[in-house]
Amino acid sequence: MTKHTIWTGLLVSVALTGCVTHPQTAEEFRRAVPGALTAKTEAFEVNRPFRDVAATFRKKAPECLDVTIKTTSRANMSYQVIVTEYKPTVVVTRERAELHVQQHHKSGVVRVSKEPAGGYYLLVADAYPVDQNKTRVQMFAPSMGHGVLIRAVKGWATGENLGCPDMTKT
Amino acid sequence: MRLSLLLLAVGLLAGCSSIRPYPNNLDRNLQIRTETGSGSIFSSTRASVGIYRVDGQCRIEYEGTIDLDKPVVLVGLPSDRLSYLIFSFFSSSLFGHARTSMSQETLLRTRTSYSYQIDVSYRNSIYNVVVREHYPRKRGSREIDLRRLDACREIVARR
Repeated sequence: MTKHTIWTGLLVSVALTGCVTHPQTAEEFRRAVPGALTAKTEAFEVNRPFRDVAATFRKKAPECLDVTIKTTSRANMSYQVIVTEYKPTVVVTRERAELHVQQHHKSGVVRVSKEPAGGYYLLVADAYPVDQNKTRVQMFAPSMGHGVLIRAVKGWATGENLGCPDMTKT
Repeated sequence: MRLSLLLLAVGLLAGCSSIRPYPNNLDRNLQIRTETGSGSIFSSTRASVGIYRVDGQCRIEYEGTIDLDKPVVLVGLPSDRLSYLIFSFFSSSLFGHARTSMSQETLLRTRTSYSYQIDVSYRNSIYNVVVREHYPRKRGSREIDLRRLDACREIVARR
């Protein structure tokens, strides 16, 4: 994880909040992303049954995203340690499967506004059944940085790559 | 005096190094297939697996590490005992500025006369560890879910 990513995270936060408050729930995050400068939403369809996509989210999210990343950086006269905890949540109903990813900076980053339990929302991916063999996925994610995380979640949705994102490279 | 200090330093470095090779002197019941690639000519990735013994109280004891520097590595794990495997991926840039590591862990109980295969990959910052158990005396296998160390008590209680 680079300083660039951390700054992007903060920018996303500020852009989403208008410097007032952060989204406190996944639903607030979904509503905030379309109007945010440093976040985007995208939708795509995959040729997989909804239950398979939901099962993949359920299996891979805890396996891959329940991680703590420690980043140490040294500049000329400074030394910085940032510890970031990621928390995945998967909620599956008959209508949709939701994957939420939250990040909490345990140390090294100043919180700019109230943080929801589990950390600031970083990504939300919603999967909806289209027909027996097709699923529509809508993602709400940062538009700068975290490309590895976004690629991994897309891989889980399509079933083409079930690997975990190296969160040190986000 | 200088020689004594040098010998002391060498001795300390040798004795205190926490990483040691896994003895790998049991019948080989595990095949690890590894594929790594950073996706950039300016960086490289290597992988290794740390092997731990797990006792009935879920305490772990380090047994050694195997570098996964060949496409296929054969490993002997004790049968009918729980082992704890930590797969680590180390990335470094050509210019030496950034070094990172990421790991994936799993508990594995190897059964007598079964064989195991683990596919390990790291490509374009996406890593994967897939464990399969092959049945003895017949074709076929099943995928085994990765289980973290905190699942140990549940696994031990089930037996």
